[in-house]
Amino acid sequence: MSVLLEIKNLSVSFRTAQGEVEAVRDVSFSLSPGEVLAIVGESGCGKSVLCRSIMKLLPGNGWIRGGTILADGTDITHYTQRDMERLRGRLFSMVFQDPLTALNPTITIGAQIAEAVRVHQPKAKKAAVRRRVLELMDLVGIPGGEERYGRYPHEFSGGMRQRSVMAIALASGPRILFADEPTTALDVTIQAQILDLLRDVQARLGAAAILVTHDLGVVARAADRVAVMYAGKIVEYGTVEDIFYDPRHPYTWGLLRSLPAWAEDGQPLYTIPGMPPSLIDPPKGDAFACRNEYALAIDYQEAPPMFRISDTHYAATWLLDARAPKIQGGWSHA
Amino acid sequence: MRQKNPFLYYGGKVLSFAVSLFLLSLAAFYVARLAPGDPLVSYYGDRAEKMTVQEREQAEARLGLDRPVHVQYIRWLEGAVRGDFGISYKYRTEALSVIAARLPNTLILGGIGFLLIFTGALALGAICAWNEGNLLDRFICKAGTVVSCIPEFWMSLVLILIFSVHLRWLPSSGAYTIGGGGIANRAVHLVLPLTVTVAGHLWYYAYMIRNRLLEEIRADYVLLARAKGLGRRKVLFRHCLRSVLPTYLSLMAISVPHILGGTYIVETVFSYPGIGTLSYESARYQDYNLLMLLCILSGGLVILCNILAQIVSERIDPRMRSGETPEVTDHG
Repeated sequence: MSVLLEIKNLSVSFRTAQGEVEAVRDVSFSLSPGEVLAIVGESGCGKSVLCRSIMKLLPGNGWIRGGTILADGTDITHYTQRDMERLRGRLFSMVFQDPLTALNPTITIGAQIAEAVRVHQPKAKKAAVRRRVLELMDLVGIPGGEERYGRYPHEFSGGMRQRSVMAIALASGPRILFADEPTTALDVTIQAQILDLLRDVQARLGAAAILVTHDLGVVARAADRVAVMYAGKIVEYGTVEDIFYDPRHPYTWGLLRSLPAWAEDGQPLYTIPGMPPSLIDPPKGDAFACRNEYALAIDYQEAPPMFRISDTHYAATWLLDARAPKIQGGWSHA
Repeated sequence: MRQKNPFLYYGGKVLSFAVSLFLLSLAAFYVARLAPGDPLVSYYGDRAEKMTVQEREQAEARLGLDRPVHVQYIRWLEGAVRGDFGISYKYRTEALSVIAARLPNTLILGGIGFLLIFTGALALGAICAWNEGNLLDRFICKAGTVVSCIPEFWMSLVLILIFSVHLRWLPSSGAYTIGGGGIANRAVHLVLPLTVTVAGHLWYYAYMIRNRLLEEIRADYVLLARAKGLGRRKVLFRHCLRSVLPTYLSLMAISVPHILGGTYIVETVFSYPGIGTLSYESARYQDYNLLMLLCILSGGLVILCNILAQIVSERIDPRMRSGETPEVTDHG
């Protein structure tokens, strides 16, 4: 299978008054056409930054410190903003967490979608653009497009707004769709609908998607493969089956154990002890070591490499080293 | 939220306009009469000082100044409602015609000044926001702050000193040369007063535009607009500026009297024959009727602009109109 997007050793930093924040550290992954990759992790682990850095939408104080981004075989790491403008919308596009703030409150929904259509077809006729907008509204399940075309974002419900954002993102037929916590700001009942829509549209258009979330329920419902991120690094990645049925990293165990579904009656919900480390001067060795009840001495000295578990499944923990003690009572044996 | 009946809505606005104007006229009338000074001097000139007590009483009776203040006010109000604002003591003609002769001069100065400030601030603010943090932006910010801190009367004097006294490029006073009044002549006379008016106000509004734009540039919708492939310039002009415009328009509407007040000072320094010089004179020489009419005109403009600003911001920003359109029900 060909590779649509390949990230190699990507590092992204932010300049702040307190020092350099290493938000993404040495991340590598690849994405094949038509597949949905979920990036999971708690707030601040660098998952949103990862997406934005690939699209080069970082704020002014952020920059790519190292690594390469290969899109469709082309190295776009050093593309200028102008080069990126040609790719955005067509090669990749993005759906955001809060659809209310992502839409311009002073422009009608129809005009905002139309603008996205015209970006890469500046010579398109008015009627053709309008037809395309209505088609897109239909695609993302906004009923009564004709009537809603001239409506403003504040006149839409949360779910309808997120559908509108999706219509904008899909306007130029992107091959990769970044969805940055697309359901977090929505009602629980709407979340499932939006996820199903995402999956459905992605499959129908044959686009690949990168789904950023902190919700493992979302992952199980929508993703093909999963990358678990912690403190700016990918600590484990594999297929959905790998991660849910055979997790290997202690952080993944912690995430899974804290799902409400696993809580026993009358027992408090499991939480991973401690806090993620600061990414200004991240700790030496494994960043998760101080929260890890299975931490080894070496975890505090040297960062673990990626250990191969199978062709699809990798994890970065010293527990997978041949010399490490075999854990009883990890996940698979719990 | 706004009332749905437009008749009630605009009726309410007109009513509040009328009430405000009434209160203003009442206050101005009393304050003017409480202020020290002799109104007879402006009517009779030096002669007033040599009058006997009897002559003074007769003169006051002729001008209606012998009555208690509230009676005077009621008389004035009766006249004003009919469109008769009395005579100017100094010019000895109807106050209305005195003002009518000067009004165009102020409207030209204030109007052109306002337009220049309005467009200039927009452009300058956008330039700064576009170049945020770099040398140009920092230079404009510093220079703008410095210029806007210079008092208008002082800047006027310095400019007169440089361009009129030393360089002799521009006239130092008046609206036109007596005898000849072509457009070019008027324009030359406008340069210095306009410069001071614009320089005094421009940066305040430009800085506001700059900061509001920078706020907007950091909004989420900019990220989505960029993600769909829109260029930075289009995002700035089509999205950010559009969001800033309602606030700006209502601010500018409120600023009309502010800028006008600035031209009053400028007019006085440049002896520019406009409403400003007239206001100054009428207050100084106790020219009551003229002063009242000027107060009503300027005050009315202030109140009108405030109401206008309110209407504009309610009209332009779709979020403020939510009363008109019911929320579309959610099907999914």
